[in-house]
Amino acid sequence: MDIKREDIIHLAELSNFSLPEKEIKSLQTDLQGIIRYISQLDELKVDDVEPTYQVFEMENVWREDEILPQEADREALLALTKEEKDNQIKVPKVL
Amino acid sequence: MKYIPTIGIECHVQLCTKTKLFSEVDNDARGKEPNSCVSPVDYALPGMLPRLNGEAIKYAIRAGRAMNCEINASSRFDRKHYFYPDSPKGYQITQFYHPIIGEGYVELPSGTRVRIEHAHLEGDAGKLTHFKDYSLVDLNRVDTPLIEIVSMPDIHSAKDVHDYCKELWRLMCHAGVTNGDLYNGNMRFDVNVSVAEEGSEKLGTRAEIKNLNSFRSAERAAEFEIKRQTKLLEAGEKVKQETRGWDDATGKTSPQRSKEEAKDYRYMPEPDIPPINLTKEFIDTESAKLPLMPMDYRNLFHDIIKEDVLEVLLDYPQLMNKLGEIALSSHLGHTQGRSAELMVLDGTTSAISLTSNLFTSVLLAEEKSVEYLNDLPSAKDLNELAEMNEKKELSSTATKEVFLHLFDPQMKGRGTKQIAKELGLIQENDLGALEKIVDIVLAKPETQKAQIDFKAGEEKVIGFLVGQVMKESHGKANPSSVQEILRKKLK
Repeated sequence: MDIKREDIIHLAELSNFSLPEKEIKSLQTDLQGIIRYISQLDELKVDDVEPTYQVFEMENVWREDEILPQEADREALLALTKEEKDNQIKVPKVL
Repeated sequence: MKYIPTIGIECHVQLCTKTKLFSEVDNDARGKEPNSCVSPVDYALPGMLPRLNGEAIKYAIRAGRAMNCEINASSRFDRKHYFYPDSPKGYQITQFYHPIIGEGYVELPSGTRVRIEHAHLEGDAGKLTHFKDYSLVDLNRVDTPLIEIVSMPDIHSAKDVHDYCKELWRLMCHAGVTNGDLYNGNMRFDVNVSVAEEGSEKLGTRAEIKNLNSFRSAERAAEFEIKRQTKLLEAGEKVKQETRGWDDATGKTSPQRSKEEAKDYRYMPEPDIPPINLTKEFIDTESAKLPLMPMDYRNLFHDIIKEDVLEVLLDYPQLMNKLGEIALSSHLGHTQGRSAELMVLDGTTSAISLTSNLFTSVLLAEEKSVEYLNDLPSAKDLNELAEMNEKKELSSTATKEVFLHLFDPQMKGRGTKQIAKELGLIQENDLGALEKIVDIVLAKPETQKAQIDFKAGEEKVIGFLVGQVMKESHGKANPSSVQEILRKKLK
C-alpha cells in the first residue's frame, strides 16, 4: 500500500490538524514505513483464526446503574477548557 | 408514469437508565444546568476508562423484544471516528459490526409490517448551540445511552412514516426503556426517501432527512421529499444523494452540509469495552420482563374497546397497564408477562369497557392528567366501580363522580363502596323502599293533575312525576325503576 501525499492531507483534515508542508513529506515517509512493517503480518495464514477484538480475554465487564459522586466538578472540568462562557465550552464557530 | 416512494427510517431512542452508558453520572439532564451532568470520562480526559452500564444492556434486550427482534448473544463496541466539538473523544462508541439487536419487525395498526434490519447501542453526542461567531458546547448529553433502530426500506407512504414512528414510540414507552419525551429529543428520526418508477426493480437515489423530532414533522418531511423527487424525475432530472434538513416553519427540506465532508469514520474495535456475551438464560429472563405491548392490547380488547378509543388510550402505557390488570385480575397464573393464551374473561368485560370510557372522557381532559397517570386507582376499586354501575347502584353521572374521587388524596384509600356511600350517591334499587317513596309523591296535592293527565294518555308528564320522586329520594332513586313503578301504579 502506497501512502500518497493526498492521504496525509485527507487524514489531517479528518483530525482537524494543520500540517506545514515539510511535515506532510516526513509523515508520508514515516507512515509508509509503519505500514510496511505491519504488512509483514500479511504473510501469516489466518484463515482458521477467529478475529481478535481485544487481548485480555475479558467479557461482560459491566457496572451497576448507580449515580456516583464525581471527583471533578463542573468548575474543575470547565477550567480545563481553553475558553468558557455561561458554564459552557466556547469553541470557534462550527458549520 | 407513476412513481413509487421507498422509505427506510433510522430512529435514535434515548434510554432512561439512571446513569449514562459509560460513566456513573446522572443521565436525566432535563431542566439541569449545562455541563452539570458530566464526568472526566465524558470529557475524555487522558487515561479515563469508560465502564459499561449493565442496565443499558437489559434495556436493549427489552427494546429488541418489543420489536420482535432476535437478541444477539454476542455483541461488541466499535469506535466511529469523527472530529466535531460535540464529542470530546473524537469518536463515538457504537456497535457497527456486531449489534446487540438483530432482525425483527414492527406491525403497524393498519397491519403493515416494517422489518427491522438491526438495532444497536451507542453513546449520544453533546449539544451545540450556535451563535454569530462562536458555538457553545454542553456535554450533559454525551454518552446518554441510545439505541439506534434501523428499519428495512419497507415504507411506501408518508402516512406509514407517521404510523411507524408513532408505533415505535409506543413500543419503546410500553417497554419502559425511554421517557419518550419528544419535546426533549428522547426520540429522533432520520428518514431515507427515494422514489422510482412503478415496476422498476432498481430503487431510486435516496436523500436522507436528518433529525426529525416528531411524527408529524417526519410525515410532512417525507411528503415534501416524495413530491420534490417525483417532480425532478418527471422533468428528466436526477436526484442527488445527500443529507437534507427539515424546516417545520417553511415546510421544506433543504441540502445540509454534513459533519464529515467525506464519510470516513475509520471504524476500529473499541479496546476499552470488552465484548458482551449473553447466556440464553440471561436473555430469556430479561425478555420475560417485557410487559404487554400495543399489539397484545389490540388483540385483547378489540371486542371491548372501540378502535379509535383504544388507539388514544395506547398512548398512555399506565392506563393500558391498568386495563390489563383489570382484565387479568381474575386470571390466576397469567397475571404476569406475556402469553399467547391471554384472553379477557366475561366477568371483566364490562369493567374494562367502563374504565376505558372513564379514562378517555374524564382523565385525558383533565389538566392534571400527568399527575393522575402516575397514581391510578387500584384494579380492585375500578372493578368494584364497574360492578356498582352495572348493578345500577350508581348512575352514570354518579359513576363519574366516584371515579374522580378515587384520585382524591383525602378519599382514595377508602375504597369505591365507602366513597360512594359517603358522597350519598348510591341509588335506591330496593323496590319496596322505592314504592314507599312513590306512594308519598302520589299522595301529594301537587302531583294530582299530572296523574290525571297521564291516565288520559299524556305520556310526557311521566318525566315530571319521575322528577318528583327523584327529588323526594334526594337523587338516590334509580330513575328507570321509578318509572317502572309509576307506570304500574297509574295503569
